Amino acid sequence: MASDVGLAAWTAFGLGLKVVGQEPDKEEVEDLTKEFLAESQEGLERMELCLTELEKRPDDGELVAEIFRAVHTIKGTTGFLGLGRLEKLAHAGESLLGALRDHKLAVSTELVNGLLELMDGLRRILQTIEATGTEGERSTDNDDALLARLAELKDGKLAANGVPPSQDRDGEQLAQSSGRDAGQSAPPAAVAGVAAVAGPTMQDKTLRIDVDVLNRMMNLVGELVLTRNQILRCSPGAGNFPELARRLDSVTAELRENVMQARMQPVGYLFRKFPRMVRDLAAMCRRQVRIEFEGQETGLDKSLLEAVRDPLTHAVRNAVDHGIEPPEGRAKAGKPAEGVVRMRAYHQSGSVVIEVSDDGAGISTERVLAKAIERGLVTPEQAASMPQREALQLIFVSGVSTAKQVTSISGRGMGMDVVRTNVEKVGGSVELESQIGLGTTVRMRVPLTLAIVPALVLQSGGQSFALPQNALVELVYVPQREAEQTVERMGTTELYRLRESLLPLVWLDRLLGLEQSADKAELGFYIAVVELEGCRYGLVVDDLKAPEEIVVKPLSSELREIGVFSGATVLGNGTLALILDVAATGARAGVRPAAEDARVVGAERAQAETAQREMAQIEMESSMVIYETGESGSAEDEEGGRMAVPLSAVERIETVPLRDIEYAGGRAVLQYRGELIPLEDDGNVLHALAKDEATAFAGDAGKEGATATVLICLRPEARGVRRVGMVVRSVLDVSAGRLLATNAAACEQQLAMVKDRVTMVHREFAQQPGKPQMAILKEVA
Amino acid sequence: MRIAEGTGANAGDTLSICSLRVGTGLFGIDTRQIREVLGSTAPRRVPLAPPYIAGVLPYRGDVLTTVCFRALLGMEKDSKTNCVLVFGDEQSEERFGLMVDGIGGVIAVEPSALEANPSGLDARSQELFDGAYKLPSGLMVRLDPQRLRPSRLAESGLFGGESGPIGRLKQERQGEQR
Repeated sequence: MASDVGLAAWTAFGLGLKVVGQEPDKEEVEDLTKEFLAESQEGLERMELCLTELEKRPDDGELVAEIFRAVHTIKGTTGFLGLGRLEKLAHAGESLLGALRDHKLAVSTELVNGLLELMDGLRRILQTIEATGTEGERSTDNDDALLARLAELKDGKLAANGVPPSQDRDGEQLAQSSGRDAGQSAPPAAVAGVAAVAGPTMQDKTLRIDVDVLNRMMNLVGELVLTRNQILRCSPGAGNFPELARRLDSVTAELRENVMQARMQPVGYLFRKFPRMVRDLAAMCRRQVRIEFEGQETGLDKSLLEAVRDPLTHAVRNAVDHGIEPPEGRAKAGKPAEGVVRMRAYHQSGSVVIEVSDDGAGISTERVLAKAIERGLVTPEQAASMPQREALQLIFVSGVSTAKQVTSISGRGMGMDVVRTNVEKVGGSVELESQIGLGTTVRMRVPLTLAIVPALVLQSGGQSFALPQNALVELVYVPQREAEQTVERMGTTELYRLRESLLPLVWLDRLLGLEQSADKAELGFYIAVVELEGCRYGLVVDDLKAPEEIVVKPLSSELREIGVFSGATVLGNGTLALILDVAATGARAGVRPAAEDARVVGAERAQAETAQREMAQIEMESSMVIYETGESGSAEDEEGGRMAVPLSAVERIETVPLRDIEYAGGRAVLQYRGELIPLEDDGNVLHALAKDEATAFAGDAGKEGATATVLICLRPEARGVRRVGMVVRSVLDVSAGRLLATNAAACEQQLAMVKDRVTMVHREFAQQPGKPQMAILKEVA
Repeated sequence: MRIAEGTGANAGDTLSICSLRVGTGLFGIDTRQIREVLGSTAPRRVPLAPPYIAGVLPYRGDVLTTVCFRALLGMEKDSKTNCVLVFGDEQSEERFGLMVDGIGGVIAVEPSALEANPSGLDARSQELFDGAYKLPSGLMVRLDPQRLRPSRLAESGLFGGESGPIGRLKQERQGEQR
């Protein structure tokens, strides 16, 4: 197989950056090389995608042309930069591709394998150049075997033996992998491994930005400087100061948004490498797997993109290796022989969700539990009563999830704790869903951006702390006169009855050893109900300050080790506030996540808790936001268009200046957190407001514009959920109650009883959208 | 640091030392090692932090961990006046602040006036001090910012707090008891 390409000639070429002709500046060459590396990497990535596509559509001439271009570009530049080794390899590849383009060769799996190896070879050399600045001078750094293989492919020797992919791909893949086991050529496992493990390359450190975005940023910076100049010149107490401050505020906000936008990268970049990986893995595990993508255009902060790279690799590897059954098994189960791994990305309430799902065998909870019992994590009695969802989460527990153990018992879990650790490090979370026989879904939820977090500033023991809002569920104020009765004790634990379920309380000042303020006794206290990673408790603080969007600054390592604080931030008044780590605070206070509780306390308690949680859920579902759609006393409805939407569907209630509402094609839209959301205005509120404003302005030209109240809602649709804004006259109340049974004859819309009065539930948010329904909301005192 | 070592070889050159006051003691630090001196500030205290941490300060868009020198010497933490010195360069080194009672003038001293730590010194002082200059008016204890880095203080475990190896052991034991 190996032909004897002159090794001496080879090494003569491989002497690093040989400069051709006149000696250009060394720096110039370095710059050129850098640029070349970045471009080539991109070219190779495109090539990888095209190659996997080519296997499916062997007759697509466009694909071949695209691959040809990528290799040709590399070859062209290498000659100029004096990269002989690369040039030789690229040349061999180019002539092979040329033959393919001229239809002298047919596309076969063997050929695609060869081309993939060529690509890996090119990529390896590029990596060497990036790391060492040379093409590699060691004796192991030669491509003779690869060159020979490419030459053979070109001569059609292997292609003639190979079976065309359309006929019997399965058989060939088997033959191929057995051949590889014998060590004839580079095993795909190693290749996939390299791709997955390789550290950050140049590409991870660079970012492509639209020049327009950059120009916009520059303009904003210019404006920022001008505003600063004016502020510096303006004397304290000057009349135009408020105006300057406002401008500074808007410029800063806009600049921040622009920078954030620039950092956003489509998730698709991350998905690119997976077709190849799945292909190689499938061949190795003797599976037939197809990979599908959805939502590649979803934007995610560059640094977060890097953070989910490894977890995604693990998840996809698991799906192919353990999730999808061998073709025979699938046939027996009545499924098509080809399994599907689906990667999906979408936005959901301020975070990005990335799912990896397979249609494989699913995870057997019994086997997970058996293993957990064996390892002494749960008792058999607890296991018997453990809900399926909780049992699945055991896979994440370190110790259960080390590769060998779980692979041998449940056929899954390789590196699941790695997945969770990595995702949680960036403030995300991982969920696992699995149904036996139907498949498994790993769902990773990561925040849109790391740098800026909405938080609530609270005060305890005379100090300010910031509590990230993603963990905050609700706030309860307890006046002093009620404090005695509301706080109940069980042993040393203090509890609060929140809607008939007990909530463990954590006193922040006591936990942190702060001095307790003297005047606190008269003022009562606040309970911030927080929930994170299944850990739910009430954090007792002295006072609440304003919600703020905080910029997270890391703490030094000694202070991080305390564990309770995740960072610090400078507040609006210039003072520092520490950011509380909700999970760690709970852990320090001894509040365990519900799942662990179940293990420790026993089955009885677990059952009670589940029941409680279910109760709470029912209650949640029927909480309704009641609002007025139109003007009170309008002709059509005496109640002024009282309507309700389920609380769970409302993400936020925003007060929006009327001038921020824009119109596109006659429809009102609103820019909300970098997203364009359509506005619904059933009661013509916008029109009425605009009229009001017009009259107000006629009287007083300097007056601030009117504002509209918008409910930002998440509406379930066929494909995930979508944000819509509902313009309402005013929000009246939040009330608990229950939905009425469907009564098609009675009305077109779902009805609810609110404070003893029947209220319509917005049609889009009825339990069965589209079908008329009624509901009663019971009165809450 | 690197600069200081470099010039240390050129014996004969006088060094300019910034004098510091803490309690009744006089200390000195090579001026080239000081990045900036911040006037009277009140660092934000960090609950549960080791006792030698005075708190955190906003500094150039970052959060600066500040070491309280009084606490290191075993004195009362609070003093009427204070002053924070900032150490550490932009890139590699860990940046931190050192809170002292106040700073005096810059004194020029001969490198030969430096004497190493005497053998009778207790373990804590051995750890903190870097010899002393024999001045006509008395001794000025030399400090090396590298020895005062919070991470190093934590590692030594001599100054309390729960982050050193001993502290970690303590925590683990507490955890077991719980």
